[in-house]
Amino acid sequence: MELAAAGVSKAFVTKGGGHLVALAGIDLEVRSGTFVSLLGPSGCGKSTLLRILGGLEQASTGTVAGTGATGATGGRRAFVFQDYSLFPWLNVLDNVAFGLRMDGVGRQERTDRARAWLARVGLAGFESAYPEQLSGGMRQRLSLARAFVTEPDVLFMDEPMGAVDPQTRLLLQEDLIRIWEETRKTVLLVTHSIEEAILLGDRVVVMTARPGRVKLDLPVELDRPRTLATSATPAFSELRSLLWDALRDEVERSMDLS
Amino acid sequence: MSGPAGTLAAGAAGTGEAGVAGVAGGELGAALGRLRRRQRRRRRTDLALSIATPVALVGLWQLAADQHWVDPRIFTPPSQIAVAAGQLISAGTLPSDLGYTLARLLVGYAIGAAAGVVVGLLLGLVRPLRAALSPLFTALYAVPQIALLPLLLVIFGIGETPKVLTVVAVTFFVLEINALAAVRNFDPRLLEAGRAYGANGRKLFRHVLLPGALPQIFTGLRVSIALGLVVITATEFVASNNGLGFLVWNSWQLFQPDQMYVGLVTIAVVGVLLTAVITLVERLALPWLHHRHR
Repeated sequence: MELAAAGVSKAFVTKGGGHLVALAGIDLEVRSGTFVSLLGPSGCGKSTLLRILGGLEQASTGTVAGTGATGATGGRRAFVFQDYSLFPWLNVLDNVAFGLRMDGVGRQERTDRARAWLARVGLAGFESAYPEQLSGGMRQRLSLARAFVTEPDVLFMDEPMGAVDPQTRLLLQEDLIRIWEETRKTVLLVTHSIEEAILLGDRVVVMTARPGRVKLDLPVELDRPRTLATSATPAFSELRSLLWDALRDEVERSMDLS
Repeated sequence: MSGPAGTLAAGAAGTGEAGVAGVAGGELGAALGRLRRRQRRRRRTDLALSIATPVALVGLWQLAADQHWVDPRIFTPPSQIAVAAGQLISAGTLPSDLGYTLARLLVGYAIGAAAGVVVGLLLGLVRPLRAALSPLFTALYAVPQIALLPLLLVIFGIGETPKVLTVVAVTFFVLEINALAAVRNFDPRLLEAGRAYGANGRKLFRHVLLPGALPQIFTGLRVSIALGLVVITATEFVASNNGLGFLVWNSWQLFQPDQMYVGLVTIAVVGVLLTAVITLVERLALPWLHHRHR
């Protein structure tokens, strides 16, 4: 088991002195080498759960265990953020090599590995550009390269395609499917796109409106390699309507909440 | 004749990319060329105006003084100022005054900036320290630093120390406030990304916080060099026997306006050059800031 959460809850104290329960008793296990999509209405705490699993935040109660968790067996984690969070003062090459540099990898090796990944995500030739000079889609490719180059045990992706236009999003999804099928990393992906969750995931976990709980845990048994054409198959449509049925009530409830 | 030509143009436009590519060498290329030429012409005009305006004003000044439209004893004509400058340079007083002022300014600036950056970053990072000192520093900054001069003179006598310290004071507060703000307003997402990729403690400071704070620190450096020049000039007015501020003040008291103008012009040139140097260093140190939106 790569990653296991047991009874994870998270509460915040709000500015007005009140409190907010974001997560209420989450149990989740993720097997090595699987791609798990986390789906839920806005504000259901799915990003918070991802951050807790990734060790960026502490759970209020409950435990997280596994090689991907902080402090555990020293497993390597990597993150892809929705807003890219690239370092504007580093050029493309140094952004990709950042994690390796922090790990103490020597200059020659980290440059070679970073270049290889830049080529793999289609950014060869942009090594000395700065992130601000790139388009949204290119920045997210850069962000993917920065994560994959560290050869993580677990990859955490927080709505990695939420900030790009729909056409670019389709291209990025294809890239991500291809890269994942080549590397078979353990991935946790937070998304609010049902199609994206199915297309990329081996499993789709649906969360309830706040406070977030696991509502449905659905295996996706579509053949790999997958392409965008996979989304036109009857099996895909069936999964999509199953997930939408589970999600619909939660989206309505979350609209009432906010 | 006009009928078939119109149809042809519409046909070319309708073919999309191929049409545009076909026209690029001809009509579209000519249009682009016109645009480029217009941009170049505008830039040249801007540059010419920025040089011609001061030159014209100096010419007008000369003319006004020569024709006695203004009192030439107060508004010394530029030609006489130039003569006075030549005399002061050959007598060695102007280089020596310039040297004194630059030395005081740069020593005070270096000490104040270094201390301000270190203290500002520390206050940004250490919450109890910030709670204890930040309100105090903000209150002290509100006191004009030149008002400290009498106190400094009482404490340190009339040597170089109090003069340098007025510059230290103004530079320190500007840098402290800017460095503190840079840390406090730091994008939390970048800090998180840094931590997520293994930068903790000193690594986070060295590789994320510091490079991210540099733009605002440079803003402080640019602002404080100008303020430092103001403060050292005022200090030399009242508490010095040399330096550009003394030159201006003393010339006024001896009613030698030509020398006074030489001092004023030199101070202005020093301010422009120092600011330009800092801007240049910033461009070299932060290439990423200047690659934006190109």
